[in-house]
Amino acid sequence: MVTRAVNLLAVSLLVTATVLTGCAKRPAMTQASAPPPAAAPMPPPPPPPVVVQETVKETVVATPAAPAPSPPTAAPATPAPTARPAPKEFAVNANVKDIFFDFDRYNVKPEAAKVLDDDAAWLKANAGQLVLIEGHCDERGTVEYNLVLGERRAKAAMNYLVAQGVQASRFTVISYGKERPFCTEHTEACWSQNRRAHFLVKAQ
Amino acid sequence: MTIRRVALLLAPLFLLAPLVLMTRPPAPHAQGVDVFLNVTGGGTKKLNIAIPEFTLVGGTDTAGATKALAAVIGTDLNFSGLFQVVTATGPVSPNNPDVLRKLWSDFAAAGAHAGLHGLLTVRGDRLEVEARLYDLTSPDQRPIATRKFEMSPAQVRRLAHRIADDVVLQFTGQRGIADTKLAFTRAAGQAKEIYVADYDGAGAGAVTQNKSLNLSPAWSPDARSLAITSFSRGYPDLYRIFPFERRPEQVLSAFAGINSSPAWSPDGQHVALTLSKDGNPEIYVLNVGTGAFRRLTRHPAIDTEPTWSPDGRQMAFVSDRSGGPRIFAMDVEGGNVRQLTEGAHHTQPRWSPRGDVIAYTAREGRFTIWVVNADGSSPRRLADSGDNQSATWSPDGRHLAFQTSRLGGWQIFAMFPDGSEQSPLIRGGSDTSPSWSPRLP
Repeated sequence: MVTRAVNLLAVSLLVTATVLTGCAKRPAMTQASAPPPAAAPMPPPPPPPVVVQETVKETVVATPAAPAPSPPTAAPATPAPTARPAPKEFAVNANVKDIFFDFDRYNVKPEAAKVLDDDAAWLKANAGQLVLIEGHCDERGTVEYNLVLGERRAKAAMNYLVAQGVQASRFTVISYGKERPFCTEHTEACWSQNRRAHFLVKAQ
Repeated sequence: MTIRRVALLLAPLFLLAPLVLMTRPPAPHAQGVDVFLNVTGGGTKKLNIAIPEFTLVGGTDTAGATKALAAVIGTDLNFSGLFQVVTATGPVSPNNPDVLRKLWSDFAAAGAHAGLHGLLTVRGDRLEVEARLYDLTSPDQRPIATRKFEMSPAQVRRLAHRIADDVVLQFTGQRGIADTKLAFTRAAGQAKEIYVADYDGAGAGAVTQNKSLNLSPAWSPDARSLAITSFSRGYPDLYRIFPFERRPEQVLSAFAGINSSPAWSPDGQHVALTLSKDGNPEIYVLNVGTGAFRRLTRHPAIDTEPTWSPDGRQMAFVSDRSGGPRIFAMDVEGGNVRQLTEGAHHTQPRWSPRGDVIAYTAREGRFTIWVVNADGSSPRRLADSGDNQSATWSPDGRHLAFQTSRLGGWQIFAMFPDGSEQSPLIRGGSDTSPSWSPRLP
């Protein structure tokens, strides 16, 4: 009787020991009933970005409003900013009229070519004027693609004028895509107004 | 007592002990995953989880955190599409295991497969939560895992998001995406500024204030910076801004012409972008560390809007070399160019983090969002109510956010990659061009 009980106990202990040994090989875990062992996989307290986020939320104006001339760590071989004239310095001149484009197109239409001929004549007669050509799109496109389409339109106008004898170095081209529309109605009448190469000039 | 009797008394205990030990969950992740698979069968069925209001076990909860935590976790888990959250009842005393057991039994009887019990301690300037996950499909309500979290009290929502993400990890082996941000552009008069909000729309704030056009935000893989195209200096240049640090913006690219459509490589070392400086919009890759540019496309057609495959070896992009913009793919050296889509006007490709599909915008009268397999097969439409553009993937590839005009004006919505459950994500402005951040570190 005693022997059998002791045997049972011994077997139980052996089984337990075996299972415990086996369990020890498994990854450490936290149990609801046991105090958390040191190796429990507890996520660490949030790293610094959490604290910094609080700072940002309180002081949203921390972002630089004016262009901060900080030395970029990535230093691309870009032309110096002074090589690009400030768009704000250009103004509309009634003698240099805009041209308009078909939907999704950037080719200079015959009626637009007539307008450009007149523009070219005035520009050749006023050689001291620099030209900023803005390319625009109507709203029926996505942001990025309209940016490049607008540039295509501005360049198409420029190339035509250069071919008419206006000096290429007088031109600066900029695309606003669909971001600076001339009208905002959702109609073809408005859309056709926005598919445009827009001219601005300034004295050299 | 005699030895014999002691031995007999103790023996059953020892016999029981191994049984208890063997039914102890082997590893929290494995067991949670087993419960999940048993309930869902690997299909679309959801796991029902009960999240009673958290229990305050220390300090005073003046901000209602016990309710807020349970509520936000519940919203996060419902949003994941993997869970059906059972509404909570009142708080539970942690010192009363009988009450807790009865509560879980009631929930189990009502169909809950799992329960989450949170114990909150408010200690000075920290919130500490012990989150206990239970398997209610087991008659003895086995614990799955206990995890500890802490956060400052001002970040209650973030604490909830991290707990929710851990619950998803316990059940699926992959962390959830509740602790993420959305960057987007918001109209401000004639200008567009970049905003950042939590993925669920909370806490939206401006991260640019230059009163100019700021476009196309793209998160870096470390979630610490955004590449943007900005007209802040008069021309479309590419910048890197740091929304969470007091750190000045960096100029990434300011060539003549267009500097646009930034796309970070998965390893965060490169930014693919569009430059027109060489006469024509082409795709280049900038090494952010060295500042060196490498040109990938050489074609007189428009090439723009690169997007990287998650293994960093392929890119999809927009080209109109076949007439009209369509989605193409190439390897990251610029070779093996192939057309993926045919038909109308396709732009804004975004390669899923899972690698299997590419989302894009089609113009078919109105704008719609489609996905196509990475090999170009099976294009299918997802969103077509009103105009829909600018899809962005959650970091686990389980969700898309996009802009839609279906409610009048632009608004950012979310949906699943099969197009189901389209619902508003961000409210409060005319919002476009969303970019979903990686999981926050």
